Amino acid sequence: MEADELLTLVAGGDQKAFEELYGLVSGPVYGLVRRVLRDPAQSEEVAQEVLLELWRSAARFDPRRGSALSWILTLAHRRAVDRVRSARAAGEREQREARRAHHPAFDQVLEEVEAGLERERVRRCLDRLTALQRQSVTLAYYDGYTYREVAERLSLPLGTVKTRMRDGLNRLRDCLGGVA
Amino acid sequence: MSLFGRLLRRGDLHSLAAPYALDALEPAERVRFERHLDDCDRCAAEVRALSEDAVRLAWSTAAPAPAALRDRVLAAVRTTPQDPAPGRAFRLPPHVWGVQPPQARSRAPRPRPLLVPFATATAAAALVVASLFAVQANRTQGELDTARDRAREIAHVLAAPDARATSGRDDRGRGIGAIASASEGKVVVTLSGYGDPAGDRVHQLWLMRPGAQPRSLGLFDGDTPLLASGLDRTATSLAVTVEPDGGSARPTSPPVVQLALESVGFGE
Repeated sequence: MEADELLTLVAGGDQKAFEELYGLVSGPVYGLVRRVLRDPAQSEEVAQEVLLELWRSAARFDPRRGSALSWILTLAHRRAVDRVRSARAAGEREQREARRAHHPAFDQVLEEVEAGLERERVRRCLDRLTALQRQSVTLAYYDGYTYREVAERLSLPLGTVKTRMRDGLNRLRDCLGGVA
Repeated sequence: MSLFGRLLRRGDLHSLAAPYALDALEPAERVRFERHLDDCDRCAAEVRALSEDAVRLAWSTAAPAPAALRDRVLAAVRTTPQDPAPGRAFRLPPHVWGVQPPQARSRAPRPRPLLVPFATATAAAALVVASLFAVQANRTQGELDTARDRAREIAHVLAAPDARATSGRDDRGRGIGAIASASEGKVVVTLSGYGDPAGDRVHQLWLMRPGAQPRSLGLFDGDTPLLASGLDRTATSLAVTVEPDGGSARPTSPPVVQLALESVGFGE
């Protein structure tokens, strides 16, 4: 069954359908959250919140307006970004990064993930962007920085960053093709 | 505000579509932009397209979730009430789901720190999952349906409570990854770096058991994961050989790579 169909059943309280939906989306949700947060324990916590939120809020999903998978990943991304920003604000991040230095196995995992084909495709397409387009898009999406922070980090005017983000996403679409 | 001021502000808001799609707005700006989306159809359409692009960036990061997460989420679902359906149609585009502040953090016990063996296992799992999602691209609807059915079966193995992963590399750095569930008797296997064998030849997967002939588990189609079922616990290892097109009844060449299954619950 498709995620869209499953989510509709979940909205009606179907726990079996939720289990199946979990099988389909837990990997993409967890992987995305971990890409943004990097810390495995914290990623697991946020992924858990997101997956539970799917159960709780399934009735809000409107299949006429887009696919369930985009909807779910957009939610996961937003929750991950919200968390990474509050962690940064609290200065926890430096501490965690120091701690992460003791877990070389995790970097190895990331490398293996990078061997994946879809990842390869996305990376190839990211490589075709200009450096500024690529940095603007990835600092925001994968590292959770606001466009103001991106502008600061890259020493660019705000308007330039907004344009680079838009051009970057458009070029990515041309390169990856329309099939999601 | 003057007309000029309003137009300026509109133009300014409109330029936030891409940062919005990337979740790169500050909370106050996000709220302001979402309000603007309410009466700007052009912006809503643009945001929708840009958000689809952003989601493409998400797909490439898929990684198997820890098994303990599944148990916790499914247990919580049994006792968590659902929100009622919204009374009126949402005017916001589909991906805008976060306009409400996140619910208070659940009181679920803090997850235990992940152990290194898990991380190592994840490496193999990531290989499998990443190629699993890659199959979605550039297919016709019929092919997509078949691919999805298979993806679902594979997802089922990955999500099994006892699913465990292992991986190996040959001396040229090419890899084999496997995720197995002993309780389901199933294993999902991927090859990476082997490409297609020259000529009309294929990579064939074999199950090795002590005192028994190798049993064929199927033929690889490039990097696409191969799902094999009907494994019993005496299985000790997997082997891959290069065989003539269509496969062989028995291996006709030495294995290009082998992988022991003891660490994933087999080999009793």
